[in-house]
Amino acid sequence: MGLIDFSKLKSETRTFAGKPVNVTIGPRFNKMGVPAKVVFSLKSLMEGMWLTLSYLLSPSTVVTKEYPENRLTLKFPERYRATLRLTNDENGFFKCTGCKMCERACPNLSIKVITRKGPVSDKMELDRYIWRQDSCTFCNSCVQVCPFKALNMTHDFENAVYDRRLLIYCLNRYAGPAAGILAAQDEETRKKMMEPRQPYGGNVPMNGYQLPYLKALPGKPADPAQGSNK
Amino acid sequence: MISEKIPTSVDKFKAISSDNISVQESDDPGDRIVTLNMGPSHPATHGVLRLVLSIDGEVITEVVPHIGYLHTGMEKLGEYMSYHQFIPITDRMDYLAPMLMNLGYILGVEKLLGITDEIPARAQWLRVLYSELMRISSHLIWLGTSAIDLGAMSPIFYALQDREQIMNIFEETCGARLTSTYFRIGGLREDIPDTVIPMIEKFLKDFAIRLDEYQNLVTGNPILINRLKGIGCLSKETALSYCCSGPVLRASGVNYDVRKARPYSGYEKFKFNIPVYQEGDSYARFLVRMDEMRESATIVRQAIDAIPAGPVKIDRTDIILPDKHRTQGNMEELINHFILSCRGFNAPVGEVFSTIESSKGEFGVYLVSTGGEKPYRLRVHSPSFLNLSVLPAISRGSLIADIVAIIGSLDIVLGEIDR
Repeated sequence: MGLIDFSKLKSETRTFAGKPVNVTIGPRFNKMGVPAKVVFSLKSLMEGMWLTLSYLLSPSTVVTKEYPENRLTLKFPERYRATLRLTNDENGFFKCTGCKMCERACPNLSIKVITRKGPVSDKMELDRYIWRQDSCTFCNSCVQVCPFKALNMTHDFENAVYDRRLLIYCLNRYAGPAAGILAAQDEETRKKMMEPRQPYGGNVPMNGYQLPYLKALPGKPADPAQGSNK
Repeated sequence: MISEKIPTSVDKFKAISSDNISVQESDDPGDRIVTLNMGPSHPATHGVLRLVLSIDGEVITEVVPHIGYLHTGMEKLGEYMSYHQFIPITDRMDYLAPMLMNLGYILGVEKLLGITDEIPARAQWLRVLYSELMRISSHLIWLGTSAIDLGAMSPIFYALQDREQIMNIFEETCGARLTSTYFRIGGLREDIPDTVIPMIEKFLKDFAIRLDEYQNLVTGNPILINRLKGIGCLSKETALSYCCSGPVLRASGVNYDVRKARPYSGYEKFKFNIPVYQEGDSYARFLVRMDEMRESATIVRQAIDAIPAGPVKIDRTDIILPDKHRTQGNMEELINHFILSCRGFNAPVGEVFSTIESSKGEFGVYLVSTGGEKPYRLRVHSPSFLNLSVLPAISRGSLIADIVAIIGSLDIVLGEIDR
């Protein structure tokens, strides 16, 4: 902008309402005469208008994505981080062994792993894997530290609900074996293997319990595990 | 019985406004000063900044910024977390440039550990590449929002369109658009995917055209020049005494940039200029940022032309998590993996201060370690905080409409100020 030349800044004391105030004054944009200003302004206005018009006339530059309509064709990068899921091995079991490393690595205590003594194997195993999406920051630390590749982050990002409690998920709602394995067992072992687990529980605040100032949810009592999958 | 009528506020108002009570003009000139509250939720204050303005008519005589509405206690949080756990929290400081915040923090920790020279060349190179993309992205948001404060509606659409391409690059690289958490102590989380280089190429090609369009649309616009020229003049001495940094300082004629003054992460290998303007007004700050975007684009171009090959993680499994296939094949690395995940690494005793040039200015991290896996004290030197502190000095005597332009030209982010 060669049309404007700067002089040096001035500092002076002006009086506002009887009080002295130190003020720094710079040159304003008034060096041009009126005709030059009008021509310059009009030229600049036309340039701006022409830019907008050129984008309007060339449809190849349209970048709008019509989101809810293009839901089926949405493409995600491979590393996209959204809802946490437990992965299964080839037999349908969860790979998670309940080592609680993800719980320790989580920066804001969003993961709670509850273990129990297995009824069939008589070893410590995963009982409930509780993930609080409401406080999760999706930093991927849990996936990084898992030595068994038992966790991954899916591309499932539409998780809006009306109550914050519905964002506390139990990731292993059914942790029993697949039907083929069950069929090979006798009746008693099968029952033990299929022992129902609480869909939801654990030692975290607002964990399915009704709060005095929050109304009970309509229908069944708060069962967040049901609302997790769309 | 007729009950006595209780006077309502309407009656009181009528009594005051009726003619029998005359309002006396005050002789004290100090009574002309009116206090006006601007913010904390005001579109032009860029977040939750609250300004208490003392105005005489339309002229501002005093500004008192009130901060703390976004205080999240991040410095204190850092003292209760292991070094790796704090990286996702740094994303939330300057939420427009999260990778730069990550970089500032991890460079501090690497200095504490004494592994600054051992970082692989590829990791350093990619850090520079992503820092500069982040700087462009942050400046684009500044361009859009400051123009919208001045009444120009369309620049933000063009700016966000360009920024969207950068966000897609980040999404492809690390899986998130803003809370990237990509840099790690001792390298990067993982190598970049192959698909990302063509995306950066395309962005650079589009952005070169766009910069010229911004020149026509915004920079040369007489309305914008009228609104910014001579507004919020900051002299060199004032800028230095208030410890300003970044574009605010460089617009006042001080050639200081951490990338040149104390190069970090291999910035000395790149050729770029530092735009410096002498005027010190809002328009100079505007021009500095516009020129900086151009320079950043040249750095990105140099970076993608010659990315060195090699690993992206330091070869020390007691500091950074190795790749999964290495963990499962090697017993020693598995043990290290467990220790690092459960407890974190032990840092040596000492204190360090390391700075980077963030998009807002000189961002520093001061770490005190007394050994163990957590820092004893973590202090963040925030450029936006210091740049905001100069606001009362430069806005006295200007109009209310000008203070909007001045805040826009200072480019503050409240997440970083309050942290």
